[in-house]
Amino acid sequence: MAETQLADVFVEMADTLIDDFDVIEFLHMLTERCVELLGVSAAGLLLTDQRDTLQVVAASSERTRLLELFQLQTDQGPCLDCFRTGQPVSVADLALTTARWPRFTAASAEVGFASVHALPMRLRSEVIGALNLFDVRPGALDEGKLRIGQALADVATIGLLQQRAIHRRDILTEQLQTALNSRVLIEQAKGILAERLQVEVGEAFAILRDGARSRNRRLSELSQAIVDGSEQFAPGPVTNLPG
Amino acid sequence: MDEDNPGFGDPMTSDRRLRLWAVLADAARGGAVAVDHVCATAVAVTGVDSAAVSVILDATPRELMYATDRTASELEDLTLTLGEGPCVDATTGGPVLVADLTEPECRNRWPVFAPAAVLAGAGAIFALPLRVGGIRLGVLDLYRARVGDLGGEQLADALVLADTACAVLLDEATRPGGDRDDHSPERTGLRHPEVHQATGMVMVQMGVSAAVALIRLRAYAYSQDRRLHDVAADVVARRLRLEPAGTSGDRNG
Repeated sequence: MAETQLADVFVEMADTLIDDFDVIEFLHMLTERCVELLGVSAAGLLLTDQRDTLQVVAASSERTRLLELFQLQTDQGPCLDCFRTGQPVSVADLALTTARWPRFTAASAEVGFASVHALPMRLRSEVIGALNLFDVRPGALDEGKLRIGQALADVATIGLLQQRAIHRRDILTEQLQTALNSRVLIEQAKGILAERLQVEVGEAFAILRDGARSRNRRLSELSQAIVDGSEQFAPGPVTNLPG
Repeated sequence: MDEDNPGFGDPMTSDRRLRLWAVLADAARGGAVAVDHVCATAVAVTGVDSAAVSVILDATPRELMYATDRTASELEDLTLTLGEGPCVDATTGGPVLVADLTEPECRNRWPVFAPAAVLAGAGAIFALPLRVGGIRLGVLDLYRARVGDLGGEQLADALVLADTACAVLLDEATRPGGDRDDHSPERTGLRHPEVHQATGMVMVQMGVSAAVALIRLRAYAYSQDRRLHDVAADVVARRLRLEPAGTSGDRNG
């Protein structure tokens, strides 16, 4: 079969793909693409650390003064405001914002930037950082570019999920197994009670839930015990359940 | 600003990720990316007709998390019922890429599944394991009516999406319950709870373990040429009762 040869070529790739993922490299490339796609002068990504403080994680250029400008926004500036409010912050003309962010505005002017935009990075309902775009020309980003910018911010979030999946895989896999297993076991326990008590599965669930409450046990834990036979739970014909 | 990016490994794969994740973010419309968006993206970029993600659990050999359409759902059901096929092999090995299910080689390898899958509308199946390091989570299954290989580019895309499916599955599992308000129960729950409910009922009816009860249900569905979840629904509705071995219509296993 032709597909076996193809498979041979790609199996190795599949084996190494996920572990090769380097989130910093990826985010760095993403900021470069922001510059190309949006026609801005510079782009940077800021993310929260464990202490809820913004940190610069990637920038389209490693120029020191630019990095300082991004870093400054961990204290003040549109990026911090965007992060705090979860809303995009767009400054079409930095010359007009001296009062709002004095140090940031001065530093931007030194580097030669005239406008700045910050788009929130959301992980579900939580704001985890912001995508920061600078331009040497004043002016707002049009609707289309804002949309592309937000899409790139969303892509960065997927990159973080991927990173997390690799680095916390043992814990996460355990959680996935536990969460899904519990759901399966609860359904099986419902079936067992429905048959033992000769009731509908909906009623069996109510009985199971009440039983868990009155015994002060978790629903999944009681279900597991019913399925493995260590807890008979309900009166009725006693069945021998192997395992 | 930087026109070049020396020193960073494999920009091709990063570019691929960026492109695919942009499609994915678009599919999610700014919301949380879920495994259904990954399946939809896989269909869009690889030229297959349908896609599904199933996971391997302690409590059940495979649990369907999402299928893009009825065909994918039926083929997943078939795989669970028969316990063989590319989508089973991929859960323990590497990717299994079947360009033409009607080839004799396929019939030799999966004598029951191959013809049944062709009848269900599959000409080609590409099953990609969901793996994070050494941990196996499940499989991303791609189905196409037309026979023929998956192109190299499409396969590379599919492999990245299989990775992404892992990340999304793991993320979904660790999401606190309170965050689920924006999801329908079907999306975070089980696709076919009746299979597990019926398993519980058969455990009592036949006095067997959950694993054996599920095998009995599968054997019955196979012998009657019916879908497993239809048989399960009949058991739950008490239209069907499996009797202890040797006394009922389930002829073989």
